[in-house]
Formats: sequence, C-alpha cells, structure tokens
Amino acid sequence: MSAIRQVAIVSLLNFRNLRQRFWQSLVIVAGMTCVSGVLLSLLAVTEGMQEAYRNTGDPRSVIIVSHGSLREDNSSIPRDQARIIMNAQGIAKAADGSPLSDSGFVAGLPVPLKKNGTTSYVRLITFGKAGVALRPTFHLVAGRMLRPGTHELIVGTLAQSKFKGMAVGDKVTLPNGQWPIVGMFATGDLLDGVLVGDTETVLQAMRHNSYNTIVVRLASPDGFAAFRAALTHNPLLTVDVMRLTDWNTRISADTAAFFHVLIYGVSIILAVGALFGCFNTMYAAVESRGREIATLRALGYGSFAVALSVILEASALSVAGALAGAMIAWTLYNGVQGSMGWDFFTLTVSPAMIGMAVLWAIAVSVFGGLMPSLRAARWTVADALRAR
Amino acid sequence: MKYFPLIWAALRRKPIRTGVTLLSVTVAFTLFGLMIGLNATMDMMAQRAHADRIWTLARFETTGLPITVAREIAKLPGIRKNSVMTYLQGYVGDPKNRAFVLFFDDEYGNIFPDQVPPRQADLIRHERTAVVMNRMAADSLHKKVGDRFTIISPQTSRADGTKNWPVRIAGIYDDIAQFPGPMISGNYAFYDESVPLAEQGKINEVDSLAADPAQAPALAERIDSLFANSGSPTRSQTEKQIFSQGFGDIDAPALTRKIALIGLLMLVLLTANVIAQSVRERLAEFATLKAFGFSNARLVTLVVAEAAFPCILGALCGISLARWLALQLPTVLPPGTGIPAPTMTSTVFVWALACACGLTLASTVLPILRLSRLDVAAALSRYA
Repeated sequence: MSAIRQVAIVSLLNFRNLRQRFWQSLVIVAGMTCVSGVLLSLLAVTEGMQEAYRNTGDPRSVIIVSHGSLREDNSSIPRDQARIIMNAQGIAKAADGSPLSDSGFVAGLPVPLKKNGTTSYVRLITFGKAGVALRPTFHLVAGRMLRPGTHELIVGTLAQSKFKGMAVGDKVTLPNGQWPIVGMFATGDLLDGVLVGDTETVLQAMRHNSYNTIVVRLASPDGFAAFRAALTHNPLLTVDVMRLTDWNTRISADTAAFFHVLIYGVSIILAVGALFGCFNTMYAAVESRGREIATLRALGYGSFAVALSVILEASALSVAGALAGAMIAWTLYNGVQGSMGWDFFTLTVSPAMIGMAVLWAIAVSVFGGLMPSLRAARWTVADALRAR
Repeated sequence: MKYFPLIWAALRRKPIRTGVTLLSVTVAFTLFGLMIGLNATMDMMAQRAHADRIWTLARFETTGLPITVAREIAKLPGIRKNSVMTYLQGYVGDPKNRAFVLFFDDEYGNIFPDQVPPRQADLIRHERTAVVMNRMAADSLHKKVGDRFTIISPQTSRADGTKNWPVRIAGIYDDIAQFPGPMISGNYAFYDESVPLAEQGKINEVDSLAADPAQAPALAERIDSLFANSGSPTRSQTEKQIFSQGFGDIDAPALTRKIALIGLLMLVLLTANVIAQSVRERLAEFATLKAFGFSNARLVTLVVAEAAFPCILGALCGISLARWLALQLPTVLPPGTGIPAPTMTSTVFVWALACACGLTLASTVLPILRLSRLDVAAALSRYA
C-alpha cells in the first residue's frame, strides 16, 4: 500500500469521526479565527493606505525633492534650483511647447471634521501651470477650475465629505483671509482627500519662498536614468530624483513599516496562544484515539501515515479558522473608508493577505501538531491497544 | 487546604496538558499586559501633563510665528514665564538616521524641567553649537558626549547657503517616560543667527506657564483671540488638553482593549476545553468522591481550584513577561515612533487578576453543570 494512499485513508477516517470531537476541534478553529481576524483587520488599514499610495501618481511622472527628504513637506527647493530643474532636458512638452513640469507646495490647514467637529488637518497642495496636465485622471465634478493668481481653491470629493465647510461656495481660512472654494474635483486616488490652490498665490499666503517638490513628465519613459544623472550630477543642484510611483511606494512603506512592527507583534503573540491550543487539542485527540490508532498500526498502516494524518487534521481545522477570521475581517473592514493622518483611503483585505493568514494557520498547525503526531507515531502497538 | 493533594494530583495527572495550558494563559496575559499597560501609560501621561503649561503654535504650521508673538504673550496678565522654541528636521550621514532638534531659549529649561533636566539645559546655555540628547537619540545615532557631527537639513538653509548644521554633544541624559522618542535640544540663539536674515526672528512654538492652572485653558483661548486677526494666527492648548487627545483619529485605548479581549476570549475556549476534558476523563473519580459523601459544592471547589492554578499563575507569569518585554520594547521598536512603552501599574495588575478569576469561572461553568448532574451509579458502572 503506497504511503500517500495510507495517509489519505487515515486522514479520511480522522475527518469522519471529527464530529465526536466537535467541541475540542472548535478550539483550533476559534483560535485561528482570532489570530487571522485580528491580523487581517489591522493589516487592512496599512494595506489600504499602501494601495492608495500605489494607485496615486502618473507612472510617467518623475518627482524631484531636495536631497535626503523623506516626505514632501521636509523637502525644500529654492527658486533658482527650480528653474534649472523645470527646464531640464528630457522633459515632455505641452502643446504650446512649454515643458510639462510643475512646482508644488504642501501645507496643512486646520479645519473641523464633519464626524465630531474636532479640528483636524486637511492637506492643501498646489498646482502650477502644468498641474492638471500632469494628473491625467483629474476632472472637475462641480463648479469651475480655480483661476491662477486669485485666492481660490478647489476641493477633492473625499475632503469635501470628510470636513465641514468644504462645499463649493464655502470659504476656507488661510493666513491672509478667506478663500472661496470654486469647484470640486475627482481623481480616483489620494488627491481626492485634498484641497488644491495655485502654487504662487498659496506660497505668498503661507509666506514661503521655496517649493517643496517639482513633478515633471519625461519625454520618453526610457529617459529616466539619463534625466536623473543629469540632475544629480549638476553641481548647482542638491536633489533626489525618483519616479513618482516609487516615491509614493516608499513613503507608504515607511509609514506601514512602523505599524507592521506593532501589528505583527500582536498577531504573533496571539498565534503562539493558538499554537498551544492546537497542541492541547491534538494531544487529547491522539490520546483518546489510542486504540483506534493502534488498530490501524496493527493492520499495517505505517507510523508516518498516522503522524501525517494528525498534522493534516490540525491544518484543516486551522485553515478553516483562518478563513473564518478572514471572512470576519473582510465583512467588517473591506471597502470601509479609513484615514491615517491626512490621507483618506479604503481599507482593503486582499486575497494575498488571506493567503498569508492561511500560511500562518498551516505554520501554527504544523508546529502545534508536531509533538502530538510524533506521540501517535511512537506508540508501540501493544501499549496503545492496552491503553484505555 | 486539606484537599490540596487531590488538586495537585489532578494537575500532575497530565503534566504536559497542565504545562501547555499554563503557557497559553501566560501568552494571553502577556498580550493583555502589553495592551492594557499601553493604556495605563497613556493615562499616566495625561495625568502627569502639566495643566499650567500652554503650548502656542502657528495656526498654519508652515508659516511659523514671529518672535514678537512671544513678547506679546508675556505681557498678558496671568502668564508667569514664557519661552520660544523652533525645530530643525534633518538627518546625520544617511537620510535614514533622522535627527529632530528643538532649539530653545534660556527660559525653556525652567518651564520644562521634566522634559530636559535643568543641568543639561544649562550646558547648552553658554555654548552656541552645543546640543544635549536623551539616551535613545544618542544610541540611535551612535554618539557619545563630546562628539562633533553635522546635521543635514534638507528643509532649512543657513545664511552661508549650506544646509549643514555642525553641533557638539555637551550632554546625554536618561530617557524620560513622559516624552518618549529620541530628543535633541540646542540653543535658539545659534539657530537664529545661522539662518538667513529674512528667516531670523521666526519660531515654531511659544511655551508659557500660567500662574493659575485653572485659568490656563481660558488663557490659551485669550492668546488665540489676541492673534486671530493678525498675520500670524495661533493655536494654543494646555499640555493637559494635548495629552488627553490621544493619537488623532485612532481610538488607541478602544483598540488595545479590543485586542486584549480577543486574546482572553480565545483563552476561555481553550481552558474551558481543557478543564471539560479533564473532568470528563475523571468522571468515575468524581463519582467515587460523591459516593464518599462529597457535596456538590465541594466538588465544584475542587474543579475551580484545579482551573484556577494555571489561570492565576499564568496571569502572574504573563504580566511579568509583559513587564520584561515592555522594558525591551524601546530598543526593538524603530526610533522616532514616539510610542510609549507599556507600564504594568497596579491597576493593570488588578485587572489581570480579575480577568484570571473570571477566566477560571468561565472555563469551569460547563464542567460544573455536568458534575452537579452526575449520576453516581451510572458513572461508576460505566467506567469501573
């Protein structure tokens, strides 16, 4: 009899009499449900945030920040450097022949949340002449576009729904007065959660004289290496040059890494608890079926088949638990609106995350089931038959 | 007490099972301790926050505040002292080695003696480029007292056009729980003289001390209304208010409580199962005891005591382990997170013990019901 066939038969036998051990087996399922439920619910936040960052930014765009900046708001590009960068070679041209490059500024504005009226910060970003052209998904959904040079703002759909006083026609307080919102836009990415103003006008209001970032579109996607080399080797500039998508990925990965330490820490502790539960249950299962196992062994089933069947049973229960936990996390959180700082995004429980929870379940059951399975395998037939 | 041998024998009957149960209780209470301990730390920080300290920032952070704001605040009746502070964000060597420096004036050390030890504040008073830092900052930058190094700030240029800020470490002090995370402090005069002329006299924060803590919230509002229509509107809050707000949108206490609760729920199932199994296996034993004349109440006591052993011992072990882990946490977590280490206060301890007792009772309910309905004759005959 082949080993695989043996394993299959013994496992089938195990599953058939699972009903008699229903409550005990439930411990493994419930334990893993907790682990995977907590893990996936918490990860849904960081995953949603990272997903939002990954989807933001035109892949053809390149961002320039001052050397060593980790975020947009701690980058600073003086005007003299900006002029060189914005007219560098390799940048795509607009219809009128001007380069598709735009300098931008970010700031936080204190505004009350719709939810509870507490003051939070909405992100204000700025567009220059090429601002709209560099963001292909940008479109107005209400009102009109802001006029450069005037104290006007446009609002993203999500920012409008999150903060008070953000409807078209409302006024937002800036350091130099009340700026009306003249339009509402949508981009389908993180920009939906921001306010947009005109770069030079906002800079003046905020009493700043340097930009945070410059975004350009390259004439050819292959031109990136040469473009970057030209800027980073220019002795007049001290800048970092990155594809916009890479920059966004890096920012979100930095934020997520911090939360991941906490999330995985908590989940690992829970998983160790589940592992002990699995161990106890499988141990009891093996002990209570001592005679059955001995009979199998006497009939010629190998100890390997018996041992493996124990682990398989634990895995099946554990995976069922992980899937149940994933289901709970998915129902509760997938597609829910979330926020982190001033980023607004949709929480995500992705198939890859569920796959990871299943892998965790298998690991927990293999480690938890290992000792009981060895115990089952090591029993001599005579001893086991004598056991009560 | 005289039944102790009975309980002990029951526990030793399956030593592996007892051991694993104990371990799982320990693990669950470690999580419990860390989570509830974190809440305890945050509560403690909110409690320790000074009600008389007012932090005034620019309402629009990017604009900063002119230093005259501090002078105007000092004139307000009810303000005892005030000081100015500005920040420098940068890195040392590689952008990953972040350095965040607070540059403040002489008065700051008197207002925040609990944030920067006064003797350390003295060290930067007389030396322009001196900085002092806490242990965490020194460790993360691998620096010791006397080291000179340069902080590169991508954001803030100096008058000479560079972004390089040379400093010397004048002192290193032990981390202060109330202000977690790496902290570097420097001399405001040095900062102010180093930036271009157009940027001089700009600050990020004014910190004031109210003569009467009860008046502080009103004073904070007074400050904001004073500058409401100026070119530099402010946003003032007492330290108490700031520390009571928690972590922005995330309701941290609710989240940690939920996680601790899930851990305990998992544990109830697990121990309930173990106890039920142990009772089931020994039904004949219990029947014998009953036949000897043991009352139901006495049997219940035996089962509860048997369950209480791993639950309470495990809770104690778990809290101890959590306490040890909490001490290691600052070295494991990446620096700069500002997440405080959990504290195992007596409240956490009492909660853990209460939960351990609850756990014991919850996991013995079903076995006890079964025992009280036990038919002595049937049990004895079936297992004889």
